[in-house]
Amino acid sequence: MSKGAQIAVGATVIALLVGWYAASNLEAGASFTYYKTLAEFRVAPDATTGAHARVHGYVAAGSIERDVAARQVRFSVQNDPVGSGAANGAPLEVVLGDLETPDLFKDGAEVVIEGMLSGAGEDAVFHADRVLAKCPSKFEPETAAAAL
Amino acid sequence: MSDVGIYSLRLALVIALLGVGSAIYAGVARRLDWTRVAERSVWVVAICVSLAMLALFAAFAGGDYQLQYVASHSARSMALPYRLAALWGGQAGSLLLWLWILMAYSSGCVWLHRRTSRRLMPWVVAVLLTNALFFLVLVNFVTNPFEKLPPGAVMSDGSGLNPLLQHPVMMIHPVMLYMGLVGFVVPFAFGFAALASGELGTAWFRTTRRWTLFAWLCLSVGIMLGGRWAYEVLGWGGYWAWDPVENASFMPWLPATAYLHSVMIQEKRNMLKTWNLLLIGLTYTLCLFGTFLTRSGIVQSVHAFAQTPLFTSIFLVYVLITAAVFLTALLARRGQMRNQNRIESMVSREAGFLLNNWVLIAILMVVFWGTLFPVFSEAITGKRIAVGPKFFNTLAGPLAIFLLFLTGVGPLVAWRRASFVSIRRHFAWPLATGLTTGAAVWAALGGVALYALLVWSLGAFVTATVVQEYARAIAVRRRVHGENALRACSVLLRKNQQRYGGYVVHLGVVLVLVGTAGSVLNRERLENVRPGDEISIDGYRLQYLTANAIPEQHYGGAVARLALYRGDEPLGVMAPEKRMYWLEQQPASIPSIYSTLREDLYVILTAIEADGSATFKVYRNPLVNWIWIGGGVFVLGTLALMWPHPSRSPEPREG
Repeated sequence: MSKGAQIAVGATVIALLVGWYAASNLEAGASFTYYKTLAEFRVAPDATTGAHARVHGYVAAGSIERDVAARQVRFSVQNDPVGSGAANGAPLEVVLGDLETPDLFKDGAEVVIEGMLSGAGEDAVFHADRVLAKCPSKFEPETAAAAL
Repeated sequence: MSDVGIYSLRLALVIALLGVGSAIYAGVARRLDWTRVAERSVWVVAICVSLAMLALFAAFAGGDYQLQYVASHSARSMALPYRLAALWGGQAGSLLLWLWILMAYSSGCVWLHRRTSRRLMPWVVAVLLTNALFFLVLVNFVTNPFEKLPPGAVMSDGSGLNPLLQHPVMMIHPVMLYMGLVGFVVPFAFGFAALASGELGTAWFRTTRRWTLFAWLCLSVGIMLGGRWAYEVLGWGGYWAWDPVENASFMPWLPATAYLHSVMIQEKRNMLKTWNLLLIGLTYTLCLFGTFLTRSGIVQSVHAFAQTPLFTSIFLVYVLITAAVFLTALLARRGQMRNQNRIESMVSREAGFLLNNWVLIAILMVVFWGTLFPVFSEAITGKRIAVGPKFFNTLAGPLAIFLLFLTGVGPLVAWRRASFVSIRRHFAWPLATGLTTGAAVWAALGGVALYALLVWSLGAFVTATVVQEYARAIAVRRRVHGENALRACSVLLRKNQQRYGGYVVHLGVVLVLVGTAGSVLNRERLENVRPGDEISIDGYRLQYLTANAIPEQHYGGAVARLALYRGDEPLGVMAPEKRMYWLEQQPASIPSIYSTLREDLYVILTAIEADGSATFKVYRNPLVNWIWIGGGVFVLGTLALMWPHPSRSPEPREG
């Protein structure tokens, strides 16, 4: 066997091993994740089936309630930024089963919630087990930007 | 004063253009006079860029808020050191810093090697100034730090710097990182010069050995400082999150480390010429690419600054052109770089180094695809699919374990072909040490933490090989030369710098990995408590005492006080803070850390609740301190590798 062929065979074997290892160790949910916007989530089939989902939205103004006794944080999420003027429809009620919220979590914050939906129509509640607040993508000064 | 900056950057651009032209002409026509012109233009550009840096520093120090960049990254209320460090708090200033460090390296290496590397020098200057030219175009026309606000928009004060960046570590972390990333331009330029001039011997990498080590040291320290900052400031209990920005600095480190190893094979056995050039090309391309990732905001994260499409596209094109030109030169010379030697046995030092290279490149592949996966998935499917830390840990973890194994085995196996007797002689007791450690860890923890078990056993194995190597060599010197142990050590480090310095670096890496493996046993608790209540975690007790408002000018919020006990022994008071920076409207959780060699207790104040209770998140993180200690050992080892010894052979001369 030529040297090139040897290397090719070796590389293929290694690639197969790594591929096999990766496929058997990486669960879809834990390693690869993407989210739907709230509007997409509402029309998607898994909105009603109770499957685990990640949903993107904005915290509705004045909706955050921390319930220390029940170790819950309740808030609602809407599809478009607060004050954007877009017709948001009824916001989605969210219950986070934990008191731990990120620093950037506040009224109007852009969030991704992880968890599942229960109930339907008016009674629908999203039970989140994690909330990620998105970092503001840029930290440019509002004063200078507004002045321009 | 800011006009000085504007005009000196313009002048630098013109001179750099002339310099590139004369360097290329000097290289093609082999004209010494034009080489001189090119070299001198390096100094001139360096002086101009230094003036621009000074002008920008002056603008920050004096609060020249006519400049948009100064106004948007500093405020009068900031202390002077932070106002100065705000220079690299944003995009335009960081690029100027990049350029300035590039010119510092350029003038240094051209000055030192201009006489000894005559044939290489025109091409070295051409590469250095072409890079400078690109960054000069950026700071002159795309993101100029001296751009003025329109007269009506000028305020008497700036809007401040992201408060999370106002931390002592953040003043030096970016500089260290850039000194690392930019520093690889020196071996890159010499490598390209070797290809362009046809001087394909060992001169290019022997000349740049210390430059490469220095850049590698700075990059490593920069990465470590970034982790330290994240741990102390970001308040999520960890130091490394496989965030794109972290990955951007880690990616070039991998091929650079591979290069430092494989270049030794070329030195000793005259093999792998093409591969070494390929590695240094890859390293520098990834340095540029890393800067591009963090500066373009293409992969969203904390560090990603304003997105400007023009900036993104020209930067990407520049990275690709750099890679393409280097690769073309490499392919054109490929025929002249046939290896005279080949690997004789898989049980040899060469094979060990080669495996080390493959593993490092495999880790690079994992990090690269993991980092860019969201970008590709969005481009192809329209959905941005993120890849979590689990992806990186699952794939890079086993590779790291294998690398650790090689770290112990590689340096002890003989060149060319190792005999069974020598293997037994070298590995008997390190193997015993590793197995004993493994058994002890298994007895203490069982199989709960396979990763930690493997890392700690292999760590003990590698440590034992290093101790054994030193002990044997010292014993020989004592017997033959009658030296004491300390003197013998220093002679070893001088006479066989690469080998004995390298061992110390390996020890540092082992400690870092041992420390990170402690994270397998991390424990965390979230508790809501009233004053007087206690939180207990793994033998520690935290009694919540009070919470007070923070009496600071720039931020408000609360500081909680908790008394810490182990059993009944009082250990001190912990004071985590929840801050709100008024000007920036940015919240921050500042953790309080009780740190020992065994473990860290890390407390975050999650919230002061409306009913007067407080919610805390408490982490117990084992062995974290060993990461920083390992970093220190690593630095010492690298310094030992770089230390100039007059007794070593002088710098190689060409021809």
